[in-house]
Amino acid sequence: MITAGIDIGSITTKAAVMAEGKIRGTKVVFTGYNAEQAGTKVYEELLAELGMEKSDVGRIVSTGYGRNSVKFMDKAMTEIICHGAGAHYLNPRARSVIDIGGQDSKAIVLDEKGKVKNFAMNDKCAAGTGRFLEVMARALEVDLDGFGTLSLRAGDPSRISSLCTVFAESEVISLISKGENRENIIAGIHESIAARIAAMANRLRIAPLVVMTGGVAKNIGVVKALERKIGMAVEVSEYAQVNGAIGAAFLAAGLK
Amino acid sequence: MKEADEFHAILKDPVSYGRKMKEQGRKIVGYFCSYTPEEIIYAAGAHPFRIFASGENIHFADAHFQSYCCSLVRGALEGALAGNLDFLDGAVFPHTCDSIQRLSDIWRMNVKGPFHADIVLPVKLDTESARSYMIDVLRKFRKDLASHLRVEITDDMLKNAIGTFNTIRRSLKRLYELKAENPGIISGRDVYAIVKASMMMDRDHLTEALPAVIGELEKKKGNAELYAGKRIVLAGGICNHPDIYRIIEDAGAVVVWDDFCTGSRYFEESVKDNADPMAAIAGRYIERPVCPAKHAGIFTRGENLLKIAKEKDARGVVFLFLKFCDPHAFDYPYMKEFLDREGIPSMMLEVEDQLPSEGQLRTRFETFVDML
Repeated sequence: MITAGIDIGSITTKAAVMAEGKIRGTKVVFTGYNAEQAGTKVYEELLAELGMEKSDVGRIVSTGYGRNSVKFMDKAMTEIICHGAGAHYLNPRARSVIDIGGQDSKAIVLDEKGKVKNFAMNDKCAAGTGRFLEVMARALEVDLDGFGTLSLRAGDPSRISSLCTVFAESEVISLISKGENRENIIAGIHESIAARIAAMANRLRIAPLVVMTGGVAKNIGVVKALERKIGMAVEVSEYAQVNGAIGAAFLAAGLK
Repeated sequence: MKEADEFHAILKDPVSYGRKMKEQGRKIVGYFCSYTPEEIIYAAGAHPFRIFASGENIHFADAHFQSYCCSLVRGALEGALAGNLDFLDGAVFPHTCDSIQRLSDIWRMNVKGPFHADIVLPVKLDTESARSYMIDVLRKFRKDLASHLRVEITDDMLKNAIGTFNTIRRSLKRLYELKAENPGIISGRDVYAIVKASMMMDRDHLTEALPAVIGELEKKKGNAELYAGKRIVLAGGICNHPDIYRIIEDAGAVVVWDDFCTGSRYFEESVKDNADPMAAIAGRYIERPVCPAKHAGIFTRGENLLKIAKEKDARGVVFLFLKFCDPHAFDYPYMKEFLDREGIPSMMLEVEDQLPSEGQLRTRFETFVDML
């Protein structure tokens, strides 16, 4: 059977199509103002790219904060459940998932079947989220895609002590005016995010194998900083950003 | 249900309700927390009125508090300083957590109500000396209140008050039992409103209003939907969030009991028949499940929560804490461990007077309910 997963996040919307347990294709678009439109668009475009019709798809699961805004899904499930399932599908040895998305971050502990055993969620503020990185990238006038590799060249990472995104931004601006180099500032920003995430993950007693998902997993600087802080290797699959959509498509196949 | 409407109305606007009672010539004594001996206030001919956070944005209270005070303390002082509690003839502060004690001091100096009482309860409740000390403290409160209100509080008046409050407590407990036995019979939001408004409503009217609710439910219980979702128990201090019940029900679960100061701790245990009504009132506080600001044994709170979860056949527990409530936060790790050991999943949610964004709350609850 062909199934689809649609993950409508705060910044991007992702879709994945699977057939008989294999990934057939994935796609990412910006969510923008209208979550329903983004969900429909990413789904239709992906089907067109794959040369499929809507009638080919047996079941659809939606996830992400906009999961209930689309009406054509068979079931809506939380992104925590879907990220767990996606991580398990991509690597059955995964026991912990760290998902850093646009507006929140989560640590998830899985059982050997990929079911959620425990989870923690930071939804109190933007620190430790993708949005934090976006704000900093704007202040530094650096393209977000370059953040990861730039930070690896840092000699002496700056210390960013504010947890509040707005105050951290002014800290970054004072560092810039002091003439601190970009690499060090960016590395400092990554350290500060990793410290937030590690505190949440340690409280949850995460265990290996640790997998990182969500858009921020594409940032090698955050991944490396996180590995140092939790003292465990962190694996990032090529599908990290679309992991939730893959999990949704995978779970759709198992729906009764 | 429509019988719950008047309870919802009071919760929506407690200030108007209090003012209306005042206009009718009643003496109204505001109080914090379920360790306040309402029987004594009622016996004095006054009306016990529980104070909660006003729900307004904080303008005045922040000038008096550090940032680590909980939203109950902050919101209550805000209401008082904004003049919303001008109908009170007094305020009672039982000795529980640090923040409530300091609130009492700040209140005495800044709100300056006509009557101000600190009830300096013992902290350890499991000793003989605690019992006699508790009785002394309650006697002092009785004497102070009587002299302020210029009334006599006789033992017969107290026994009559005990009868009224025992009736109320029995009714509230019956309400909880009916909900636990037939979760689909009444919404969690209605139960929440009834128990909380009971702490503000005219108690003589309440002794008629509660049986009316229960009578309706007893009639319905046969044909009620048996299954209303996965059974969960809530635990913590104050619940000021009616929306939580709707979100939980939408996620496919139902609250079958709680361990809240604004819930079961308010009505658990009756005051025993006793020749000395003061000893009887003190006795209830000693035997009742404690809050984390009191001590009745190292593991009593954990054991009580486990007992509730098992007796009510709960599949999970949600701890709902006010942010900065350290007594609850200190007890949390061991209580969670007690549940873990028995394989009962739990989730902890820290909230302030206003709930965090609903989307994220829904994500948490849906995931938790899916885990059960």
